[in-house]
Amino acid sequence: MICPFCSLLCDADNLKEIQCDLRTASLVQLESLRSIKAGLQRLGKQVDTEFAERIAEATESLRAAKRILITGRIASVATARAAVTFAAKYNATIDCAESGHGFKNILAIQRSGLNSVSLAESRDHSDFFIVVVDDSMLAACPRMPAALSGGKLIPQTVLLLGDFSIATAELWKKAGFDTWSVPCDLRTVPSSLAQWSRCSVQSLSNRSSEMHPTKQLFERMAQAEYTTVVWSAENLKFDQADLWVERMLQWIAGRNETTRCAALPWSSLDGTFQQVCTWLTGFPGRVKFRDGVPQYDPHGQSYEQWIARTPVGMSPESFVVIPESVVVLIDETASSTPFLNPESMQALGQCNVIELTGNSKRFPTAVAGVEVTADIFRADQTLLARVSPTRKLVPSVKSAAEWLEGLSQ
Amino acid sequence: MITRLHGAVCIDGIGKSVIRDLVLNGESICSTLPNDSRADAEYRLDNHIVVSGGIDIHTHIGGGKVNIARLLLPEMVEHRRSHSERSVNEESNWIAPLSSPVPGTWETGRRYLEMGYTACFEPAVLPANARHAHAEMADTPWLDTGGYLLLGNDRLLLEWIRDGVPQQQINDYVGWMLRAHQCCAVKVVNAGGIDAFKFNQRHLNVDDQHLHFGITPRQILRSLSHAVESLGLAHPLHVHCSNLGLAGNIAATMATIDSVEGRRLHLTHAQFHCYAADGPHGYSSAAKLLADRVNSDPSLSIDVGQVQFGQTVTLSGDTMHQFANRNLARPRKAIFQDLECQAGCGVLPFRYRQDQYVHGLLWTIGIELFLRVEDPLRVFLTTDHPNGAPFTSYPHIIRLLMDYDFRMSVFSRLHPDVQKSSPLPSLKREYSLEEIIKMTRLGPAKALGLKNRGSLIDGCLADVVVYERSENPEQMFSRPHMVFRRGELVYRDGLFLNNAMKSTVIANVQVDSQMDDLLNRIWRSRYGYSTEMIVVHTDELRSKNRTVEW
Repeated sequence: MICPFCSLLCDADNLKEIQCDLRTASLVQLESLRSIKAGLQRLGKQVDTEFAERIAEATESLRAAKRILITGRIASVATARAAVTFAAKYNATIDCAESGHGFKNILAIQRSGLNSVSLAESRDHSDFFIVVVDDSMLAACPRMPAALSGGKLIPQTVLLLGDFSIATAELWKKAGFDTWSVPCDLRTVPSSLAQWSRCSVQSLSNRSSEMHPTKQLFERMAQAEYTTVVWSAENLKFDQADLWVERMLQWIAGRNETTRCAALPWSSLDGTFQQVCTWLTGFPGRVKFRDGVPQYDPHGQSYEQWIARTPVGMSPESFVVIPESVVVLIDETASSTPFLNPESMQALGQCNVIELTGNSKRFPTAVAGVEVTADIFRADQTLLARVSPTRKLVPSVKSAAEWLEGLSQ
Repeated sequence: MITRLHGAVCIDGIGKSVIRDLVLNGESICSTLPNDSRADAEYRLDNHIVVSGGIDIHTHIGGGKVNIARLLLPEMVEHRRSHSERSVNEESNWIAPLSSPVPGTWETGRRYLEMGYTACFEPAVLPANARHAHAEMADTPWLDTGGYLLLGNDRLLLEWIRDGVPQQQINDYVGWMLRAHQCCAVKVVNAGGIDAFKFNQRHLNVDDQHLHFGITPRQILRSLSHAVESLGLAHPLHVHCSNLGLAGNIAATMATIDSVEGRRLHLTHAQFHCYAADGPHGYSSAAKLLADRVNSDPSLSIDVGQVQFGQTVTLSGDTMHQFANRNLARPRKAIFQDLECQAGCGVLPFRYRQDQYVHGLLWTIGIELFLRVEDPLRVFLTTDHPNGAPFTSYPHIIRLLMDYDFRMSVFSRLHPDVQKSSPLPSLKREYSLEEIIKMTRLGPAKALGLKNRGSLIDGCLADVVVYERSENPEQMFSRPHMVFRRGELVYRDGLFLNNAMKSTVIANVQVDSQMDDLLNRIWRSRYGYSTEMIVVHTDELRSKNRTVEW
């Protein structure tokens, strides 16, 4: 199944059986959500009976609002649909939280195009992987090496580029890869790859570059019939990372003139939201509706920009209550980390916040794929799978989509 | 709800086109009011025609490549023009343009209904994207939908053909895949070529060998057409031939027809596969050759994929040829994907210019095909939306077919070498209204086995469109007076009144249960996940306003 925590693939029927730090941490978080929801039930505050009342109250504030933002972690098709419908109805701005990572790829693709490969194709067919990696990448997607390894008789080769520990390299070896490591600053990867492409094997030994491959690795790269280049935009923690992605895409495009090479840019769970928003509106997220018509502005309509434009956020001294600003926060994942930074939360403190999360006592929501059945795109945005919960933890808790549909009536 | 339409000419290509009453009784059509009942609503429709809802047999409206095209080209979205801003005097602009070459689902559904279309079929559903494609089509309002499953480049099938497995195993596999992905037909795109490109093979003709598997497109086409016939599918194998867009590709198209050994075959966007290599620029029309073949062989049908001039985006599973055209992209960017050991896709923005020789030639070849194929039940109106043009150009194309002088007025603006070499001026045929209705309703319904659609006979689904008669067919077909979906009035004079119950058309095939275990084992080892994850259940296609139709 597709793991609702990292959007990767897991073969096990029971997610709990898989040893994975991310999943363990998430399940601990889930336990606390469950206790909140169970507590609500014990108090006799069945969500169903109060549904209409809560919706009416929230709808009133939405109707009075002049500025509405809907954001958060949207993991399922149903919630993405409901969120876009909601945004269209209320002429709201919509942007997935943490979309900044995905937009590094999206902006580069919109300028330069893309040669890409899906996960299963790469696993079955690719003989050479270039993985731009740091340790946090595998912390977020611990099963990536196993997912990419096809278990072939002839081992696939992986070249790890970046700032990573020996333990990370060991994980790739353990997955069956013939592993080569070239530690380097992530920012230099596109220029180094371009430089290597211009080199011949003979000239290699004469170069004094700090980051150069051995002759053997260079030959293997040159002989590769299908190269897959993997990166996660989340790890590109430097300014103008979209330009970095663009240079990578151009390098890949150039290689395809003579051989085959493709990118496998890894995305997080917001890939599902981006897909659904794109088919409904014609644009990926970061859309502002005006008179029901979506207007795309990847720079001006991010949730961060919306918050920055909230007058109360200008300085702590100038805070005034702006009741006509409403923020709808959604979190249908089990992630333990908050998706808005403290400064943003402080700025939003003066807004009317409708919180559709597992932690919310007013609008408690189930977790997609864990408590409610959900359709979710895989991290390479290719495969949409149905993720069914092994058991429903709190039957009466509504999904984020159901709340949003109620608010959009 | 019983509705009576009174005083209009009923045209369906079956009965005589005469003024008669038509009764919509619930979801069905009947010619007279049931005994002891009276109509809940009656409409006097003098000077109108009544036809069944249009059916688009080949239009890209859902799935990965469509969404990728949207993602690639946000700058092509223009602000929508409202009805009031639309100038009816503007030539060729009776219907407002789409806001972008590939608009969102809401706009797609609305604009199809606005022309009187009620069912559309996505012709390239990648198995791994089937759930996505269905989800997207579910969000396309008013339209009944269905999908053709993309096979013929799935590595497992290629391996089995190479290994010479029994044909029965391939039949079972095709049946299982259709059922698992809830599609209604099988589509082949450049048989074997998409996979060959993954192995860096840049060309694959019908009798060339795939460098890795050592099999030919001919073998793949023969095997799949056999499977489609054995499974009893209503729609024949739907084929995008080899050598898309190449001069002289008519030879590959003829070889493709031969490869299925007399079985039924549908050639899609035939205009793109109909080129000889003669003429002033080594590029010329082979429309007569193909049309003659279609006219002489009742097992063949085609849709045209007519080109219109202007900006669009081409999107296709044919990565091999899309990649070959990468330098023609306008603007200069493109997306190519290799997907899931099943197929791929290429997305390339493109501008057709009427002053460019080849582009003008493509326009004439499409029109030639329409005019040369005699039976309108075997040639269908498509633009391969958005590849040749947006679907909103259908009313304009209808006028081109019905009005020789209008056709020649456009022809006279083409590149001089096109005007010198094209036989189009000699083709004086003008389609009748009945022929247009056959080509856009009855023909596609028959080709897809939709027995309850495409005509106005008793018992047919009450998807009915009323157009006000006009001397200008472009004007007439651009905006109906009324559209009924399943007996309910959903559109009237520019106003959208109600949503409609939608259905997904799927094939009714028997599945060999042994295939479950076999494919699950293969899926787990090759793709890393079980088949359980990708199988789309029929229940998923049902909701309060959506049903399933076999």
